[in-house]
Amino acid sequence: MIHALLTRVGGTDWETIRLPLVLGLLALVPPVVFREGATYVSRLIILAAIFATLAMALNIVFGHTDQLFLFVGALTGIGAYTTALSAEAFGVSPWATLLVGAVLTGVIGALVCYVAARLQFTVILIAILTLALQFAVIEFFVGARDITGGSTGLIFSGLGFESLQEGFGIHEHVILYYLVLALLGATFAFYEWLRNSTYGLAFDAIRQDEVAAESIGVDVVRYKVLAGFTSAFIIGLVGPLYAQLEGFVIPGLFEFQVIDVLVLIILIVGGMRTLLGPLVGAGLVIWIDEGLASTGEWRTVIFGALLIVLFLYFRQGVVPFADRILNDRFRTRERIATWRES
Amino acid sequence: MEFAIDGITQGLVLALLGLGITIVFGLGGVLNLSIGVFSAIAVVIAIELLGITSSLPLSIVLAVVAVTGLGLVVDKSLLSFVYRSEGEERVLLGIFVTLGLATLLDGLLVIARPSSYSLSVGVPSTTVFGAQIRGSSIAIIVISLALFAGLYYFFRRTYLGRATRTVLQDETGAVLCGISPRKMRTLVFVLSASIAAVAGILYSFTQQVGAAEGFELTILALIVSIVGGVTSIVGAVAAGLVLGLIATFTSAYVGAYVAEIALFAAAIVALLLQPEQVA
Repeated sequence: MIHALLTRVGGTDWETIRLPLVLGLLALVPPVVFREGATYVSRLIILAAIFATLAMALNIVFGHTDQLFLFVGALTGIGAYTTALSAEAFGVSPWATLLVGAVLTGVIGALVCYVAARLQFTVILIAILTLALQFAVIEFFVGARDITGGSTGLIFSGLGFESLQEGFGIHEHVILYYLVLALLGATFAFYEWLRNSTYGLAFDAIRQDEVAAESIGVDVVRYKVLAGFTSAFIIGLVGPLYAQLEGFVIPGLFEFQVIDVLVLIILIVGGMRTLLGPLVGAGLVIWIDEGLASTGEWRTVIFGALLIVLFLYFRQGVVPFADRILNDRFRTRERIATWRES
Repeated sequence: MEFAIDGITQGLVLALLGLGITIVFGLGGVLNLSIGVFSAIAVVIAIELLGITSSLPLSIVLAVVAVTGLGLVVDKSLLSFVYRSEGEERVLLGIFVTLGLATLLDGLLVIARPSSYSLSVGVPSTTVFGAQIRGSSIAIIVISLALFAGLYYFFRRTYLGRATRTVLQDETGAVLCGISPRKMRTLVFVLSASIAAVAGILYSFTQQVGAAEGFELTILALIVSIVGGVTSIVGAVAAGLVLGLIATFTSAYVGAYVAEIALFAAAIVALLLQPEQVA
């Protein structure tokens, strides 16, 4: 309905204004919702934004090139640990080493994709490979105590603007929120550009028929590696921000059950290969998860049941589902009219 | 020598776990990520029953039967939905649905019994050729070898077992021979549930098993299955033994966490060396 309304009233195309509109609305969240002393709510909102960005990264690599990364948690951790540890080692601020972590994570993602593409791994094989990597990496975080601090981890708080916080009395969550939002906005805008570029076209071709794509000159390995690097790079940037929110870097933050399961649900629930799916999914899933907190110990049980139902019946995702309903209910007549005119 | 026996003991349990993944994936294309929770449930039920019946063998048998029943329920309900889709979509749906199931069962287990347990076998240690063998090791070796022999007999000699292998090799051919793949899949899933239950109980002879260990067991099972070639039954058994030995020796000489990483490394190497077998 909003869709049709906007097209009629503004005359502008919904496709072009939806991202700026959504980001603009999201920018208004801190002054409206964040309250001094209510860090619980602001933390959840930042967390949702973080997971939306992670889900978007997975959307690029899994949704568009069929490479199922089940080591998003490990990549997030590698980004966070690399940034924190290299900042400590060089005695600089984590701001300076943010890119080091992201680039390393990106290279790991690219490497995995390169090997997988070369050996012509199916989606299930990449899933198993990355799952094994996920657990190996977490095991390393816990075990290599001399480097990572083991399960007690490291304290991490370098990604703030102390001067802004103290000078203007702005809460650290507000600053962090805008940082995450900037990354989210950049990622989503990049995705929008990607889909309409030749890369997007090549990804579609590869996903639909790899052999056919190869035969018309699409370099399948190259595009898969590019997708892997891009997604892992974004995940590597999210890592330190996630650590900043939690205040420390510990292996438990990056476990499969903590990150990957949630990111997968968010992407599937929101809708794969859609622009707003990861965002809607993240909001919805974090909200549901919080709502279930009142059920106490039954939370995991209900969450598991919900997972099964969602995967069995809502695999196409909420955004495509809503889109279909809106189109069918409200735009059918309109479309017939325009069709007759042409 | 003691390490070798420990390794073999651990390897046999790993082999059982891997087998649970292998037969279901080989036959139905479903990667059962909830298998470790089945094992954990079996241990918890066995502990509960032990308090009532005060007979360890009886409790173990009843626990295995209970988990087998759970397997049947899961197959008839959830997996029916999964088998409706085909090819790669079925594989993905299988992963997601069993992941959801693992979360659900895990949550239930935490509510019912949040701690981890180990069963004591009550078999005395003995000395063979100058090496001290723990009672638990003897029990594990005897029980798992008996189970492997039974499975071997089932898959090689009985009509039902052969029918299952037919579906594994050629589904269309099986249908033409009048074998229903769906029925065979149910049979194999139920079988895998009971194997997982036995594996969990044997595992609890030497380690603590409970809700927290469920997913860990799944991952172990997955590794064994991958190294064994995912659809090969003999491969899973061999992989279990090799990995058990690797894990025990690295753990003894290098360190526990290196041993864990070695297991994952073995899985990754196996994946890279023989992808066509796994797919």
